[in-house]
Amino acid sequence: MAQNNKKSSMGVPLAIIIAAVIIGGSVLLTSGNSSGENRSASRQNSGSHEQNNDLDRMRPVSESDHIRGNLGAAVTIVEYADPECPFCQRLHSTLIDVTEEYGDTVAWVYRHFPLDSIHPKARIESHAIECAGELGGNDSFWDYIDELYRITPANNGLDLALLPEIATTIGLDREAFESCQASGRYEEVIENDLQDGIATGVRGTPFSVIVLADGTKLPMSGAQPFSAIKSLIDTVIAN
Amino acid sequence: MKKTFIKIFSSPKNIVLAVSVFLTVLLVALLIPNVSLIGSFLKLPGTGIKEVLVLVVNLLGSLGTNFTTVTASYTVVIAIIFGINIALMVHYIKKFKESKKQGGAASSTLGIIVGAFGIGCASCGSLLVTTALSLFGISGSLTFLPFGGQEFGFIGVLLLGYSTYLLLKKITNPLVCKI
Repeated sequence: MAQNNKKSSMGVPLAIIIAAVIIGGSVLLTSGNSSGENRSASRQNSGSHEQNNDLDRMRPVSESDHIRGNLGAAVTIVEYADPECPFCQRLHSTLIDVTEEYGDTVAWVYRHFPLDSIHPKARIESHAIECAGELGGNDSFWDYIDELYRITPANNGLDLALLPEIATTIGLDREAFESCQASGRYEEVIENDLQDGIATGVRGTPFSVIVLADGTKLPMSGAQPFSAIKSLIDTVIAN
Repeated sequence: MKKTFIKIFSSPKNIVLAVSVFLTVLLVALLIPNVSLIGSFLKLPGTGIKEVLVLVVNLLGSLGTNFTTVTASYTVVIAIIFGINIALMVHYIKKFKESKKQGGAASSTLGIIVGAFGIGCASCGSLLVTTALSLFGISGSLTFLPFGGQEFGFIGVLLLGYSTYLLLKKITNPLVCKI
């Protein structure tokens, strides 16, 4: 009788375990990709490169990077982004808040990761961002991104005729900007960023690597809310 | 069938089970993209359970920032239906065991699981398969589809709904092998 009760009591937990296995299997298969952006990045890179998550392969942050904040800050957020990705647009707004909240404690590095397969305009926009940097320096680089993210409807929806308009809006010379765009001279820079992202294990955008002063790297996938990034930074600063 | 549903979920045990499964599915869906982040964060000096919990709770806000309205909606709906589904499945397995006992057959746990996978008569089986299929509806997010795999979210909702219907039907109907 006692044995029967024991057997009987095993059914429910076992069913729950099976359910957990099913859930786990489904979750592993989806790999946590909640957005088309993430999946498309994976698709873009498949076949040409074996995915890895080796953050140590990331190109070190240097003066050649576009940095909002100070090189050598206590926390540096290296963001790999696609200007037509709606989740990058959300994270951009969040990271503006983060840099405003923490001032010199946090630096933000922007690296290009255009998803050509779903956003063919993204690479052209990335080039425009680099041209803005060439013509107006680091501040213009960031002003251009801010303005671009402000006006783009995302998902490859930006009218490319607006790129020179953005340049003039932030005070750049339209003719010089158009000449730079036509030259295509930043294509290699963009490709280098993309390859660096792939080597770092970027599987979709936005993807950020949070680099601490001692070189420790933390991977952050997706457009996480301000509160999550804040709790992370607060802990790091406190220690 | 409606009465059966109400009867099953008037039991606090079943409600707790359904809610627990719902929360588990939702938690996993929201946190899995940043398991590496949580793991790396946990390794940082001075980071304790409290800090990790705060981070985890804050990461749950990604439902609002890292999902579209559509993907957030079907993720929540799938989690709810799956919670209901598991509670019904557990109820069914219990009922199935009871009937086996009454019939004098030796009912081992393995037997229940094998039975649930569909070995046996048509009216007593295929439960887990149905549930598993519906779950793999959400999991099979293949990237080559026009909506980047979102189709499977909708199919998952439909299959889970159908699975729930089948479970309720099986619970309502007597356990017999029909001619």
